[in-house]
Amino acid sequence: MDADSARLLAAGISMGVGSIGPALGLGMLISKALESIARQPEVSGDIRVNMFIGIGVTEAVALYAFVVALILIFVA
Amino acid sequence: MRRGRLVVVAVVVLLGIAALFLIPGGEKAEFDVVEEFETHPIVHLPSIGPVDLSVTKPVVYLWITFAIVCVLAFFINRGIRDVPGRFQFIMESLYELARDSIVGSVMKSGRKTWFPYVAGVFFFVLLSNLIGLVPLPFAEHNNLGFYTATANLYVTVSLALCTFVFTHYAGVRKNGAVTYVRNWAPASAPPVLRQLIWVIHAVSEVFRVVSLSVRLFANMLAGHAILAVFFGMALLFQHYAAAALLLGGSVLIYLFELFVAFIQAFIFAILSGVYIGGALDQEH
Repeated sequence: MDADSARLLAAGISMGVGSIGPALGLGMLISKALESIARQPEVSGDIRVNMFIGIGVTEAVALYAFVVALILIFVA
Repeated sequence: MRRGRLVVVAVVVLLGIAALFLIPGGEKAEFDVVEEFETHPIVHLPSIGPVDLSVTKPVVYLWITFAIVCVLAFFINRGIRDVPGRFQFIMESLYELARDSIVGSVMKSGRKTWFPYVAGVFFFVLLSNLIGLVPLPFAEHNNLGFYTATANLYVTVSLALCTFVFTHYAGVRKNGAVTYVRNWAPASAPPVLRQLIWVIHAVSEVFRVVSLSVRLFANMLAGHAILAVFFGMALLFQHYAAAALLLGGSVLIYLFELFVAFIQAFIFAILSGVYIGGALDQEH
């Protein structure tokens, strides 16, 4: 396997494996937020704001994998 | 809808889809996804040392964002009435979002001092993301193209560096340099563990610049890349039915990009508020 195909394969693996963690994390985060909204609907505004912050931070990890894949395809 | 009308609508839709498969095609058009993200100088200016001063596409977009921010601020200042019209209502809602949900809910002290910076960053990033969803004639050969200033890593690193500098400036000004740096690890920790926590906290402080900038950059870049790929695929298959389907899909992706533009501006501003607020009151 030469360097070019190894590079492209690594880009695919990076994006594939690198989105497992954030997907699981996002599912847990959003399910907990939904549970707490169901328990106490009057604080749903606060919970929603904090949920979006959590979504932003967790999704960033998937995007680090995306940036690594882009670097492998276009720059390396 | 009654039964008869439903049957007529279904027949018309099926005939339309069949017609899409039967119409002979037009001419082939070229579309390269990567070209949308390369920055070529528009006006060549000389370089000072390693810094190249020529005007490129992100520079023009930043100027456009700055101009629109100034124009909006000027008009909202002039036109404040007691009974708000639509424009004033939108601006007041955004202002309340910045004041209550971003600065008010996240920073305990220093709200008045740092509200201009955090709200300013929110409005700037929001406007920059939204301008990226309007096609402007800056693509190659002066075609209409989508591009965001924040889809460029240099721009987002500059914004994240602003937050980084202000965080440490706020912390040092309030607590004094030595106390501020020493408080990165809690005083109640045992001796060796305290040094370890300090090292980890120092590394995470540096990594905040990377994470803030890469989060905004990758979200905007990925969104525009997906949009460009959908448009390119609509041209690739040389088939009207595929083009119609893909253009429908790209409308949905565009709506999602609108949502992501708001969310990313909100998250950048609120994380800046968290970092500055955390540097101001350091007792966790």
